[in-house]
Amino acid sequence: MAVTAGCAAAGWMERPIAAAGQTETPPQKTVQGAKNPAAENPGAKSYADHCAICHGDQREGILPGFPPLVGISHQLSNDKMTALIHAGKGRMPGFPNLQGGEMSALLHFLTTADAAAKPAPAGGKTGAPSGLAEAGGELFHQNCAFCHGRDAMGGESGPDLTQSKLVLGDKTGEKIAQVVHEGRPDNKMPAFNFSSQEINGIIAFIHAREAAAAAHPGGRRGVTVEDLQTGKVDAGKQYFNGAGGCAKCHSPRGDLAGVARRYQGLQLEQRMLYPRGAKSTVTVTLENGETVAGTEAYLDEFTVALRDSNGVYRSWPTNRVHYTVQAPVEAHVEQFSKYTDDDIHNLMAYLQTLR
Amino acid sequence: MKLNQGRWALVAAVAVLGMMPWARTAAAQDLENEQLLKPARDSWPLYHGDYSGRRHVALTQITPGNVGDLSLAWAFQTNQAAQIKSSPLLVDGVLYFTVPDNIWAVDARSGHMIWHYNKPTTGGDHIGHRGVAMYKGWLYFVTPDCHLISLDARDGKVRWDKLIADVNKGYWTTMAPLVVKGHVIVGVSGDFDNLQGYLRAFDPQSGAVQWQWDATPPAGTPNATTGGMTWMTGTYDPELNLVYWGTGNPTPVLNGTTRPGDNPYTCSIVAINPDDGKLAWGFQASPHDTHDWDAVETPVLVDGEFHGEPHKMLMQSSRNGYFFVLDRTNGKNLLTAPFGPVNWALGIDKQGRPIPNPAKEPAPDGRLIAPDEGGLTNYRAPSFDPRTGLFIVDAHPSWSIYFAKPADGVYGWAGADYGVWGKGVIEAIDYQTGKIRWSHDVGASGSGAGVMTTDSGLTFTGDGYGNVLALATEDGKTLWHAGMGAPMQSSPISYELDGRQYVMTSSGGVLFAWALPEKMGGTR
Repeated sequence: MAVTAGCAAAGWMERPIAAAGQTETPPQKTVQGAKNPAAENPGAKSYADHCAICHGDQREGILPGFPPLVGISHQLSNDKMTALIHAGKGRMPGFPNLQGGEMSALLHFLTTADAAAKPAPAGGKTGAPSGLAEAGGELFHQNCAFCHGRDAMGGESGPDLTQSKLVLGDKTGEKIAQVVHEGRPDNKMPAFNFSSQEINGIIAFIHAREAAAAAHPGGRRGVTVEDLQTGKVDAGKQYFNGAGGCAKCHSPRGDLAGVARRYQGLQLEQRMLYPRGAKSTVTVTLENGETVAGTEAYLDEFTVALRDSNGVYRSWPTNRVHYTVQAPVEAHVEQFSKYTDDDIHNLMAYLQTLR
Repeated sequence: MKLNQGRWALVAAVAVLGMMPWARTAAAQDLENEQLLKPARDSWPLYHGDYSGRRHVALTQITPGNVGDLSLAWAFQTNQAAQIKSSPLLVDGVLYFTVPDNIWAVDARSGHMIWHYNKPTTGGDHIGHRGVAMYKGWLYFVTPDCHLISLDARDGKVRWDKLIADVNKGYWTTMAPLVVKGHVIVGVSGDFDNLQGYLRAFDPQSGAVQWQWDATPPAGTPNATTGGMTWMTGTYDPELNLVYWGTGNPTPVLNGTTRPGDNPYTCSIVAINPDDGKLAWGFQASPHDTHDWDAVETPVLVDGEFHGEPHKMLMQSSRNGYFFVLDRTNGKNLLTAPFGPVNWALGIDKQGRPIPNPAKEPAPDGRLIAPDEGGLTNYRAPSFDPRTGLFIVDAHPSWSIYFAKPADGVYGWAGADYGVWGKGVIEAIDYQTGKIRWSHDVGASGSGAGVMTTDSGLTFTGDGYGNVLALATEDGKTLWHAGMGAPMQSSPISYELDGRQYVMTSSGGVLFAWALPEKMGGTR
């Protein structure tokens, strides 16, 4: 199953409240005899005093009436949590007197102690890498798997992370963490608000999958530069200058000089077929006859917008102005139905000579 | 053991208080077979509104003449990051809708919450959720980790919890079950692993399994396919007593070498007897698929003339790019026509099925394919307008490249594919010819909205920028729009309450109810 590329990002954004384990039956109370966290943590004490009565001693919630708070930091920012705690919501009473240091401590407790609230993995070594990867695997399956695959080897729309250059070169996980936190808006990957402990779990899982994939090459999926070497350079050059019409807009000594150094393999092929993010130009004629031109910034049925030469954003209702769009990139769309697969492979071979 | 008396006192108080505002009368929150067979104007008791899957409503208060005055009656905030992809049910003035792990019951008049059920799950794919089913006073809800849960519609209390599939094998569930007479019919998802697809019927009262229909042989059967997931809600013809369901792609997904032949019943439309789960007939939209093109799109049931002869028809705009019209009494094909760019078939065979071109199977150096993996359309619902004979669908013309090599193996995905380009177009297909009567662009990135038509000649849908649109059904011209903030990922519904017609759409985690303004001091 899948959704279109257009709504694939939606899948990544669907995040449930992380649970304290599976909840077929109400979670068993096993805290008796355990070290009492409230004794040394003012946030835990505040939680025990005000919140635990409804949300459970371990923040596991009491369903269906009272929601769990494990993983609440993915759902609500600190500001939103503060506002909610002060004002209450639905059947939840407000706690307007919870202020200052106690509120900070409570928020700290709610947003940082998630891992402690999870059941210890089998074996009980919470700090062991395998436990970390296991916890990260759960988060990965919930949040990342639809696009990147359950095994991180690529899914409906996301790349195979076990072959990702970024992953392979990121032993400390810093770069992965950055991509997860900031997202990749150009590729429709949303940003995720995970704690650093959760991120570490996800990184551990991805690296574990990378190791597993390397150990079983038969299962690997993805496209290597070597896969894309079946074309003929001469035929590609001929297509470029002739039937393909590429030379009408592009030149091997101009815009495409060194293109094979800037892009390789699949990335080069994708950009060759359709360069995403290519800019279009809009010219708008206003009611008073004035003409404004700039880079297209937004266009739907009802609103046209551009950035002018000063970088200023301007928009108009489409029914009040006359506008034209110059989108040379559309020539790539017209070409799709004309290509043979050999044309594409030959063109690829030729472009790869432009180093 | 520490006894927490305070908590239980509070729970008890909430329970008592909670029951009062919606104390049960004999009629309230009861949904009987008759209401499912002939839904009232003030209800939307099934995923598609009725058993036909046409998503066409008889309501005429909102017209092409006054739709320009349409305005917001209320909005409901889920305060969740998950996008609403479900179709709400409306029964006795209460709306029930979902995102993964969550159900809300909301007053359809005011938009205020009556109750909220949340079952946090860690297993299974949380890609989306299509909604609940209802029968008598009970709701039926599937979880990502493959449980079917029955809840009391009055307060969301769980009655029972049954297993649909094993999440650890790679199954998950997202769909809205279909209630047919004494059966709750549920399908499964899961094509990252080589798994058998099936439908399973549960007893609405006890939750006992009544029957199971398998789309494919058990995993491990030599030279046979797995797959054929059943992840979208089917339709039902009470006269023929047949349920119609679409099945998903075969597995391994992009590599067909271990599963020679047509791979029945993957990528198929099947007709099944709801009483015993026996197959009456099956039609393959994509024999031997190697592009992930599930044929789970709504099997729309229409009674009418086809080329001058009366027919009981079934229509589907399929993900593989072809529009099919079948005789739903026997599965015989009446029409097969592409509704956008398709380049993977050699022609149409005698049974009306596209013939896959072996040269367009995924290859080590890549093959250019139209449409892309998301398909020319997807789970978003189309609508059939009986007044114009138009089948209106949110289409996604698109191109992509497909790869597979021996090293990719024969398990799960077994290859790779990448979308190159796509856009969104609302298309009105003449069902007699397959010709596109009109098309309406909805943006470079594609839409995500389903389609609903009304007897007054309106088509409601959305664009790729977050606008909800009202189009004239006859020519596709825009008559009204409003920006909702994010593209709609669900299909619109409509109902009439207290003499006022509502159109319901969603955007992100917000539900919107649109209606004509109430007039001061007069009738609505």
